[in-house]
Amino acid sequence: MRNKLWLLLALVAALGLVLGAGPAMAKTIKIGLLDCYSGPPSTYTNDVRDAFKMHMDKVNAKGGIWGNKFEVITRDTKFKVDLGLSQAKELIMREEVSMLVGTINSALALALADLCQKEKIPFFATFSKSAKISGEKGNRYVFQITENTAMVGKAAGAALAKKPYIKYWIAGDDYEYGHAVGEGVWKQLKKLKPEVQLLGQSWWKVGEPDFTPYITAILAAKPDAVIIATGGRDCVPFLKAAQATGFNKKVPFFMHTAAELATLRPVGKNAPEGVLGTSNYFFYYPDSAANKAFVKEFQDVYHRLPTVGALYGYITAQLITQAYQKTKSLDTEKFIDAVENATVQTPVGPVQLRAEDHQALLPMYMGVTKKSNQYDFLVAHDIVTIPPAEAAPDLDEIMKARGK
Amino acid sequence: MDTASHITLAALGQQLLVGLSRTTILFIVSSGLSLILGVLRIPNVSHGSLYMIGAFVTYSVATFIGGQTGFWVALAVAPVAVGLLALAVERGIFCHLYEREHLMLLLFTFSLMLVLGDLVKMTWGSDYRSLSAPPMMQGSFSLGGMPFPRYNLFLLIMGPLVALGLWALTNKTKIGKIARAAAVDREMVAAMGINVSWVFAFVFCLGCLMAGLGGALVAPTQNITQGMDHAIIMEAFLIVIIGGLGNMWGALLGAAIFGITDSIGILVWPQFAIVFPYVAVTIVLVFRPKGLLKSTW
Repeated sequence: MRNKLWLLLALVAALGLVLGAGPAMAKTIKIGLLDCYSGPPSTYTNDVRDAFKMHMDKVNAKGGIWGNKFEVITRDTKFKVDLGLSQAKELIMREEVSMLVGTINSALALALADLCQKEKIPFFATFSKSAKISGEKGNRYVFQITENTAMVGKAAGAALAKKPYIKYWIAGDDYEYGHAVGEGVWKQLKKLKPEVQLLGQSWWKVGEPDFTPYITAILAAKPDAVIIATGGRDCVPFLKAAQATGFNKKVPFFMHTAAELATLRPVGKNAPEGVLGTSNYFFYYPDSAANKAFVKEFQDVYHRLPTVGALYGYITAQLITQAYQKTKSLDTEKFIDAVENATVQTPVGPVQLRAEDHQALLPMYMGVTKKSNQYDFLVAHDIVTIPPAEAAPDLDEIMKARGK
Repeated sequence: MDTASHITLAALGQQLLVGLSRTTILFIVSSGLSLILGVLRIPNVSHGSLYMIGAFVTYSVATFIGGQTGFWVALAVAPVAVGLLALAVERGIFCHLYEREHLMLLLFTFSLMLVLGDLVKMTWGSDYRSLSAPPMMQGSFSLGGMPFPRYNLFLLIMGPLVALGLWALTNKTKIGKIARAAAVDREMVAAMGINVSWVFAFVFCLGCLMAGLGGALVAPTQNITQGMDHAIIMEAFLIVIIGGLGNMWGALLGAAIFGITDSIGILVWPQFAIVFPYVAVTIVLVFRPKGLLKSTW
């Protein structure tokens, strides 16, 4: 009995040797995708995962890259930093993933950026908006694909400076995202148009159940326009309260992601019209062949329209496959060199990944919400494009913050 | 920065009304909590979960039927459904525990909160839901030049109606009178030959029905989501404490203080509005540690 066991063990070991000693290139590249796939954030994150997988499946179907196939392993972080971090360690140690992708949670993204620097594997932050990820906390191993709060501020500030409004009110979530967006927009707006005035500010707790008293108080101050710095799931009840009070008809207001499909779809035809919103992507804009092809591809696979998250997931997948295509090796350092300064042809046109801070430079679109005959939700119209150059974070400031 | 000029009388009046409509929801939920607290002497921690279930049931019924009538049917069905659920729990498990220690009962309602939370997750999933007000309640009308949402007006009408109904039920009906008597001296009530256990069941069911009604009324104004139970239970407990434990009018007074300081705070000092209701609670408790009105404890 004991002899047989030894024989079996030896066989397993030999098999391991044979498989392990195969050609260096023809193997499976494992990618760990971890994000919050349960609860409200999944409205945004499911599209990131699905578009990422869609691209990888396409590449695999064509035989992979230099014979390498990609395997995507997902984990649900449930929006918890400690859980996400332990899942990341498990993915790195047990699954031996080559890189990590994901997370809408900025606190987790910053923790993963730190972990991946220690483990020397790349991490692509797909939906977390903290400017620190590619800013002061950035490092060689972390890449930020989504626009960050600094870019939202710069883009919206630039777009609002072109509008005739003078007297503003700022209101938002009383936590990092809200303050970062609100203050970012104001800083840029004040710089481009010094005559603007700030009448006042209101800050509510995240998950505020009723926005009506805030809206009526803001209306009493009679501002020309209002900057609403609220994110995620709070956008929907805010838009409902705006519609119920007629806020949008009295005073124009700006809210990042207000014109986004993920925000407008749940409110349906009852969403307020005339709201200014910014987003990196609309499935109907830009009206280009590349975007149409992407929307069709996504719809064919998943039978729904892609939201902005789909763009982030798709671009991340494109950057990864293109870098492997270029390096012809599985070496991490060579991979990072290839991703740095790479430009990919995306549904929103060519997107560059800036070498210095590892930030993807996406164009930003500002539109006004309007009812549509075609869909049972509102869409953005009068879309203005803010080119990446106008929204990109300032490199000197980043390098100074990083202490270089 | 000129902050004071926009605080006009009209704006204050408007804000007061908006605050009162929030008061309605807070009152309905906390009066149920107060009722159970007064008669059964149990802080029902799962009260917020029943409020959440009320909102989810309203969503499901309203979207299933659809249209104008959907919401009104849901508004009637949801509180009753929550009340029946509460009755089943009370008769099935809770009533066997009345003789146990007080801490046991508290722990039971706590575990009930966790079980009901998971029940919601299993039934409706973890996504949030959004429900629109019925068409005739959408939009706003002008009130002294300021827009006032129609749905908030509806809430302002509902508040006094519910308060009146509760008052009539506890003061004018036999069962209500027995329940009030049981709140003061349950041994005496039992000595009179009344089945106290069924009185408790009635009160528990009624209190939870109020939680369900609150959830149904709040559904069109906010996200219907996991976590709304925790948000409301905190506020409801504070309201019951400042109003006086077990006192229904105390719940009304407490809810008004909470709702109005919140909305006036938002107008007067918007940057720090979040703390206003809590400051009001602290002030009340410093001067009247047992609550504003007479506690039944």
